[in-house]
Amino acid sequence: MATHEEITASLLAFQEGYNKNERLKIMNRDWDRVVLVQASDIPSQHTLELRNGELSVREGAPPRADLTVISDSETLADLFYGDITPTEPYMNGTLKIIGSEDDIVRLDFISLMIWGE
Amino acid sequence: MKRVVSVSLGSSRRDHRVEVELMGERFEISRRGTDGDFERAVQLLKELDGKVDAIGLGGIDVYLYAGKTRYVIQDGKKLMDAVRKTPVVDGSGLKNTLERETVYYLREHTDLLSPGTRVLMVSAVDRFGMAEAFAGVGCEVTFGDLIFAAGIPYPIHTVSELEELAAKLLPEMTRLPFHMLYPTGKKQETQDEEKIKKFGHYYQEAQVIAGDYHLVRRYMPRLNGQTIITNTTTADDVTFLREKGAGCLVTTTPEFEGRSFGTNVMEAVLVALLQKPVEEITPRDYLDLLRRLDFKPRVLPLR
Repeated sequence: MATHEEITASLLAFQEGYNKNERLKIMNRDWDRVVLVQASDIPSQHTLELRNGELSVREGAPPRADLTVISDSETLADLFYGDITPTEPYMNGTLKIIGSEDDIVRLDFISLMIWGE
Repeated sequence: MKRVVSVSLGSSRRDHRVEVELMGERFEISRRGTDGDFERAVQLLKELDGKVDAIGLGGIDVYLYAGKTRYVIQDGKKLMDAVRKTPVVDGSGLKNTLERETVYYLREHTDLLSPGTRVLMVSAVDRFGMAEAFAGVGCEVTFGDLIFAAGIPYPIHTVSELEELAAKLLPEMTRLPFHMLYPTGKKQETQDEEKIKKFGHYYQEAQVIAGDYHLVRRYMPRLNGQTIITNTTTADDVTFLREKGAGCLVTTTPEFEGRSFGTNVMEAVLVALLQKPVEEITPRDYLDLLRRLDFKPRVLPLR
């Protein structure tokens, strides 16, 4: 089980990976989205916000989310640190993403662009 | 008579059956759509296994190529694995030979692909041979893989960037359910109005639009005389393209009874003619056979 602080640290690593990738920022200039990241086994909520291609992270839930990412704390931390890709936990049901199919594909894409090889 | 069947995840409305003679051999070629129903496709493949001479998988790819790397689409592989006895192909072998040759043929024999021609490939990773050939003959290429598959307004203009992005994305993306990556079943009969509004300008800025017909159709706005290079078109599709304002249709596979078949069907026909295990067939085998059959792209003016 990961702690809330570990999830925060993983999201900050994700943000750093994103912000270093200028091409990814260009790709997402048109995609303004609010993402709620919620752990299923501990009280932990974070907000990822994409606006004009820039990604910000903050603790707590947003008033309204376009996408909701739910998983156990360990999977969330592994995912945002890039230790695992979203596909496997998404396919086996460990990771639930609530939102439009297009947005889910795009979130998967961002993660792969940051960590994929 | 040899029997070749294409089992497709696409709409059953496009089903058809023809009889043709190729190199002195009679063929019955049929296409059976399963309306996006994966389990029905598996069942049908099992029923046909051992009873026909070759099977093509349509409406889905099994193998994608970028450079020398081959990526396997897991859903496509599951369908392929349902067949144990009959040779089964997805068309990727033929795409890498016939479609590359089509570009060279058009460059040499028509004025459709002069150097600097602006070509939009709606998706290029499913037709890497064609993508390389367009770039190789000096066309100004735009690969719309990210734009149309993921909604990301990022045109790719070089084969090397396409390869680089494919290496990052495809190992994982190919594990997603296929319907998340490609329109299957009823989706093939509709257009994506939101993406047309957002990304239709990429079509309008191009002189040539190439690639998978279902993708080309799904995002097509009003055109102004563009050439479409594709296959699997029916008489209704020709009417649709004409109404949209396309100037010319080039189909890479031969036409039988008014429609051009998918590459998976034609590859299955070639496999049935070659009578070699699929894993032993080389691109050279396909090219030699295509020359003996005298297959040439069909160029149909629409205006």
